[in-house]
Amino acid sequence: MTHPAAYLRSRNLSRATALAIAAGVMLVPANILPVVSTRTGGMARTDTIFSGIVGLWDDGMFGIAAIVFVASILIPALKLVGLTWLIIAARRGPTHRRALTRLFTALDFIGRWSMLDVFLVGFLSGLVQFGALATIHPRIGILAFAAAVVLTVLATDAFDSRVLWIEDKDGAREPLNASAA
Amino acid sequence: MTTPATPRISRRRSLPLVWVVPLIALAIGGWMVFREFRHRGPEITIEFKDGKGVEPRKTTLEYQGVTVGTVTDVELKQDLSGVLVRLRLDKNAAALANDGAQFWIVHPEIGFSGVRGLETLFTGARINVRPGKGAVASHFNGLDKAPALEDSGEGRAFELEADRLGSLSPGAPVFYREVKVGVVETSRLNHNATSVLIRIRVQTPYVNLVRINSRFWNAGGVSFKLSLLGAQLKSTSLESLFSGGVAFATPDSGRELAVAAPEGTVFTLHNEADKDWLKWQPRIEITPVEEAPEPPLPRGPLAPLVKR
Repeated sequence: MTHPAAYLRSRNLSRATALAIAAGVMLVPANILPVVSTRTGGMARTDTIFSGIVGLWDDGMFGIAAIVFVASILIPALKLVGLTWLIIAARRGPTHRRALTRLFTALDFIGRWSMLDVFLVGFLSGLVQFGALATIHPRIGILAFAAAVVLTVLATDAFDSRVLWIEDKDGAREPLNASAA
Repeated sequence: MTTPATPRISRRRSLPLVWVVPLIALAIGGWMVFREFRHRGPEITIEFKDGKGVEPRKTTLEYQGVTVGTVTDVELKQDLSGVLVRLRLDKNAAALANDGAQFWIVHPEIGFSGVRGLETLFTGARINVRPGKGAVASHFNGLDKAPALEDSGEGRAFELEADRLGSLSPGAPVFYREVKVGVVETSRLNHNATSVLIRIRVQTPYVNLVRINSRFWNAGGVSFKLSLLGAQLKSTSLESLFSGGVAFATPDSGRELAVAAPEGTVFTLHNEADKDWLKWQPRIEITPVEEAPEPPLPRGPLAPLVKR
């Protein structure tokens, strides 16, 4: 018979795992497909997230390039890596419970900050519609990006941090109240 | 008392419904990528002497006024003799990448015979193409400037042989009774440099006006005559004043017209017209058979006046 703790763990984790995999799948089109096309005075260009960052860098806007890089590439990637790590650790039967719980709190916190790109494209597309002078259109990549961010948030949400603290049959290696410090 | 049935405990865990989500994500993501790459055609490289105004991801390739590709990369040739422009074609334009295709960079051009590429003042340069007919190719030599004229292939081309080019330039008009019926396409020296060969193209509805005994003369520039009776200034049209022009007439001698001149017939280009030539009035049907359908015969009181 399956041990109740293991059962609880596997049930809880499969939701998070499925959503995290879905988020990882969506990150591929989000990064290789164009997210925005701009047309200024008849000069048109379409950009993926990465080419946009390179473009900003080439134009000398190092600060903005760095912000976009962190918000659009680094954070989503780190979030997914962190989540994967949490899930694998929890499946194995956790060891560093306190550190993992902190990681979970951090992931939960930064989740809401990675919609910067989607916000930017939506905002600019609505605002910059000057006909022949300048227009900005969202492209399909931004949808994939938004989906990836939403799925990561859902996955973090589905991950019940209590799984990290479930007592195994052979007893906990760390007492529950150790985190209160 | 009956004992309750022993519960059967399945060792197999059923797959939770949530695993549908990654499958859907895979399907949607795959479709998105497929949709994007479906339109991608081959990548070609064009060599230009000068890449002024060509920028990666901004400069487009246009054919018949429609964007059919985008420049992906521009780099200097290793021996510094020119630039290499790499270009991604749209899939439906893949047929343009054939041997013999001509590529040139369009810059704004303002001349007496017209204004061309003016929009590139604002949009930056763009690349135009005239498709080739050879085998599929991926490396091309770009032209330094636009080919003499858009060779539409319509109408009929003829060669005129002249002592000197005069003021004729590509795009100059060809007149029949001072009506523009064609254009000058190119000019070159003949094989032993004793004369100039000028290629003209007469547009479709007028091709039958050119007969094998037609006479061509230079109608460009101005003629100025000063005599005791006064001064006389003559020019065929303002356009031909600057870019030169060619006029022709077809003799009406006898009942039978000479046969229509075939493609590529060579005529002599005279310096000016004989007075007789200007009086010729041959009757030539100019509506080609394959175009305009036969108009219905007019009925009513005017009918007898119409000669058919």
